[in-house]
Amino acid sequence: MLKNYISNMRGAALAALMLCGTSLVAQTTATGVINGSLVNKNGISIQFDTDPTGVTLGAAGTNAATANFGAVSAFGPLSGGVTRPSVTAANFTVRTIFDVQVIQGGLTSTTYTLTANLAAAAPTGMNYKVDAITLTTAAQTIQVNGAYSTAIPHNLDLVVSTAAPGAGGPAVGTPITTTINFTATAN
Amino acid sequence: MKKVMLLTIFAALMMISSAAVAQTATGTLTVTATVNGSIQLVFNSDAAGVALSSGAGTNTATLAFGNVSAFGAISAGIVRSTTASNFTVSSAVDVQVAKANSASANYTLKAQLGAADAVNTWTVGGVAVTNAAQSTLTATGAYAANSNFPVAITVPFTTASGTLISNTINYTATAN
Repeated sequence: MLKNYISNMRGAALAALMLCGTSLVAQTTATGVINGSLVNKNGISIQFDTDPTGVTLGAAGTNAATANFGAVSAFGPLSGGVTRPSVTAANFTVRTIFDVQVIQGGLTSTTYTLTANLAAAAPTGMNYKVDAITLTTAAQTIQVNGAYSTAIPHNLDLVVSTAAPGAGGPAVGTPITTTINFTATAN
Repeated sequence: MKKVMLLTIFAALMMISSAAVAQTATGTLTVTATVNGSIQLVFNSDAAGVALSSGAGTNTATLAFGNVSAFGAISAGIVRSTTASNFTVSSAVDVQVAKANSASANYTLKAQLGAADAVNTWTVGGVAVTNAAQSTLTATGAYAANSNFPVAITVPFTTASGTLISNTINYTATAN
């Protein structure tokens, strides 16, 4: 009985010493290895920038910007950054300039093609043009050789019928909003 | 032959693959404008009158009668009438008012002298105009048409020879 007790005590002591030893050496060094990896995905992005001669864009520098012409008329004053290149008996055109900047990474492409379309049919009495190209709900090519990483100015024209409301002309005195979708495709 | 076929198929697959990964980026530009109705007034030379010496087709024009007299030679385009104490020179002047985005059927045209003239009498379209208040030339002006509103000045015989007569007539068209 005593012999068994002594044997148990020795075993316990040995275990305690071993634990002690483990604890003491754990404080000296700790090492680890992280195997990091990444996959470089190519891609392009588009953003709208305010042009120095145009209206100040809302959310400039993003791909979802706004351009507000303010009050427009055939003969009255216009907001800053808005010009009126033409007035005829049938319509008048107001214009602003905005910049498009397309950036690419990881591509061998040197240029891009820019297309645009109206998100919905143009409001009554209104037509929209980008660089003299009339927009519809179908994509229209605006530029075929756009340079990357450069803010490229584009004319945005609103061609407004001079007809009275209800007679083919646009609604007056109320904001008319239209969304233009742009797509840049790497060539 | 089999190798050529395989290579062709491989090349075709490569092209399809390349087309499938064409990189695009999209963005939206929301455009807002508020259209307002407006009208515009311009002066045009009338074929029967003195040609406007400047500003034809604009809203700031100049009508120069040149030298005028009760009995002497008179320039083309000037109509003259004389009484026992004064003479009147008159020239046709066209006013054209355009409208846009408006259901207005016609306009009212008023005129007023820019400065008082205690000596001479001014009329536009047969209506006396002074600097005291606007005079109504018409209340039913037709848009987009040249309307002749002759400008006339009545000069007393007592005016010294060589006297320069000059004034500004301010016109206001209002959509009815």
